[in-house]
Amino acid sequence: MNEEELLKRSAAERDRIFSCYDRGREGAEIDPWEDPAYEVYHTTDRYGFIHDKRLPQKMDQNEIKTQFVEMERLKKWHKMTKNWETVATTEKLRRRIYKGIPDRFRGQVWVLLLGIHKLKSENIGKYEEMLRLARQWSTEIRQIDADVARQYRDHINYRERYSLKQRSMFYVLAAYSMYNMEVGYCQGMSVLAGLLLLYMDEEEAFWGLSVLLTDKKYSMHGFYVDGFPKLNRYMEHHDKIMQRFLPKLKKRLDKCGCDSILYALKWFFVVFQERTPVSLGLRIWDIFLLDGDRVLPAIAYTIMKLHKRQLLTMDSLDEFCNYLQIKLEKDFGYDDDHVISAVERSMEELKRAKLEYPGPPLPHELPKQPIGTFKEPTFTSKVGRRADEFSEAQQVMRESLIQRRQTALIEDEGSEEHEDSATPTELSAASNRRMLGANNCVGVNSHGGSKFLFEAGDGGSSLSPQGSRRSLADTSVTSTADLSVFSSATRSQPLDNSLDTQSNASVASSSGSAGLQTPRAGSHQPSPDVVRIYVPYGGGPGYKDGLPRTLPRSLDTNKIRIKVQDPDQTPVVENLKPFALDSPEYELDIK
Amino acid sequence: MASRGTAQRPNGTQGKICQFKLVLLGESAVGKSSLVLRFVKGQFHEYQESTIGAAFLTQTVCLEETTVKFEIWDTAGQERYHSLAPMYYRGAQAAIVVYDITNQDTFTRATTWVKELQRQASPSIVIALAGNKADLGNKRVVEYEEAQAYAEENGLLFMETSAKTAMNVNDIFLAIAKKLPKNEQTGNAGTSGQGRRLVESEGQKPTSGNCCK
Ligand SMILES: Nc1nc2c(ncn2[C@@H]2O[C@H](COP(=O)(O)OP(=O)(O)O)[C@@H](O)[C@H]2O)c(=O)[nH]1
Ligand SMILES: [Mg+2]
Repeated sequence: MNEEELLKRSAAERDRIFSCYDRGREGAEIDPWEDPAYEVYHTTDRYGFIHDKRLPQKMDQNEIKTQFVEMERLKKWHKMTKNWETVATTEKLRRRIYKGIPDRFRGQVWVLLLGIHKLKSENIGKYEEMLRLARQWSTEIRQIDADVARQYRDHINYRERYSLKQRSMFYVLAAYSMYNMEVGYCQGMSVLAGLLLLYMDEEEAFWGLSVLLTDKKYSMHGFYVDGFPKLNRYMEHHDKIMQRFLPKLKKRLDKCGCDSILYALKWFFVVFQERTPVSLGLRIWDIFLLDGDRVLPAIAYTIMKLHKRQLLTMDSLDEFCNYLQIKLEKDFGYDDDHVISAVERSMEELKRAKLEYPGPPLPHELPKQPIGTFKEPTFTSKVGRRADEFSEAQQVMRESLIQRRQTALIEDEGSEEHEDSATPTELSAASNRRMLGANNCVGVNSHGGSKFLFEAGDGGSSLSPQGSRRSLADTSVTSTADLSVFSSATRSQPLDNSLDTQSNASVASSSGSAGLQTPRAGSHQPSPDVVRIYVPYGGGPGYKDGLPRTLPRSLDTNKIRIKVQDPDQTPVVENLKPFALDSPEYELDIK
Repeated sequence: MASRGTAQRPNGTQGKICQFKLVLLGESAVGKSSLVLRFVKGQFHEYQESTIGAAFLTQTVCLEETTVKFEIWDTAGQERYHSLAPMYYRGAQAAIVVYDITNQDTFTRATTWVKELQRQASPSIVIALAGNKADLGNKRVVEYEEAQAYAEENGLLFMETSAKTAMNVNDIFLAIAKKLPKNEQTGNAGTSGQGRRLVESEGQKPTSGNCCK
């Protein structure tokens, strides 16, 4: 197909999807399975979510309590919402919201908390304009359609394909993809739109979504924008909290390869929706909308804290994932009030430890262009073609994941040597002399992570696989995630790697066809030599405007030489390149 | 439901137990999560929730001599999540690259995933190509022959599957299990849950440094 045809085809697809939502259920082609048959009335809970089984005739303790208390509170809430701007309200509001907004008032209060009225009245006609633009230009329609079709299908409002609310969700997300073109649409946002729409109308939800993304109280833009920069910051912070307050649990999770990204990405991106029971999820949203993103670390910490005992009985990734991804949503094990009080206590605790907030957003977490700026999409994005290379922001994300994982492993293995976690400005070189010599396996672990980075630039790579595999210099360069040079020559557990940077690629290829058949040498040996060096990386060529965590783009910026004294065990270190630090070269003598 | 080749060995201690890390890749909404759900739980949800980040599941299959435990990483399909993918396919012994037979672009995307795996993943990785939603034959746009020829050229296992009807779902996992090398020493399984080719028994001391020669 030539370019024109491709463009036509994409436009036709967009039109087709739009027309489905425009028609709604009237005359739309709906596969029979798209309307799951539910025994609706017996299985719908008070929030509108439909369950597989009939609901119990009797309400459980938690529900009875919630309903009773809510009845009591209705009058107070009625008064408060009428006098929203008054001081008396502000004072009471916080306390009352932590007790839970009565579901009947939830919509009204959420709209107030998000300041939607004001935005809406200041931007009359804007929403319609964005929706019009979306019909003509949005490049995200296919993905939005796919996700709307899957979002909250267990809720009575979204149960039917092309139902009113499902259509609203589609329009809101389509319009928003034009309003904030830097984010466009990212998977996860359908949760936000879907949830808001349960409590407000279409245009309100649009402005609500906009506040969630770009108001600095919530700043979700930084989660969803290319490279997920805010996620990095929040995960690092979460890890710090875990290290400080739940070190045993953290160690256990690390050991099993349960990197916090596995559970925390979803937690943060959709603010604990679909990972907690509905009623608790709403309570969490109540306080999130009141206090903003500063509640996220406390909630994440609270979940881990409350379930510490169970989690500590587990010793496989399997169990952890099942528990955190599935079990907690089905049955959280604590009633909602208890959890929210625990969150409040956690916030206090974190505050005392000066860990209550991961700090303000970094520059690249914020929109670069004024919101609402229209820019014609590029040809590539119009036809939905994929970029061949990772963007810089994506590389930063990728590399820092690798580094986090390595840190976790090094911590694990060198925990006798180091109590605290390696900070991003530290360089840790852990090397196991015996392994270096015995296997010539130097750098294998990290090299896996590096490969992509350097090959992605196509031709930019100066590494031959053979050379790099054995090069400690490469290792340290390639695992440079942000500010640090983080060299890990070997892991004490070469087999261990569900998430880490260890690449079977290197291992297998280096042992030829026997790669998979060969038992790993030295697999459980401890690592006696752990070297940690400070590398002040600031201001180096790795920095780019607005992206303080930029990686060095080529090997030319870095160089480490490691000598092992025993000649039999000297690893071959190749590809030494100039080192862009104050000192031109580091030599580590490992004895 | 089609027969499932996933029976647990009656007494779990017999035979070899191998553990493999498997990753599912492919465009969004082609049915990756549905395939996993079908394979692991024998279910199909029309309204499968979209995968944000990734999900992890395990399933064990029995071959004649060995028990194979799959540690399955189900990933998010949207391009923006692509930067997380290497962390899931790194160290994977197997991958299923999924496309939707009713959408040509998803096939094109599958071929770029295959390329990426060939360049970036373990050279010995076993890759299977799954043309999913085979139950929607009347909407087919990717011809079986086209995909098969591509798979042959690239040395991939290939099947058309349907998570909905369960067609070929267990079969594709079984085919992968069969193709994976299992002639390593075996030990106790399932203690650590980490993705690796084989579970070595605890405390087993390697005898020689033959890992990277
Ligand atoms: N007809 C049909 N629909 C399927 C099949 N597999 C998945 N789907 C549907 O396709 C949609 C996307 O599936 P999902 O598993 O979420 O895709 P993923 O994004 O690749 O994980 C869901 O609505 C599924 O119900 C299949 O084999 N046949
Ligand atoms: Mg999925």
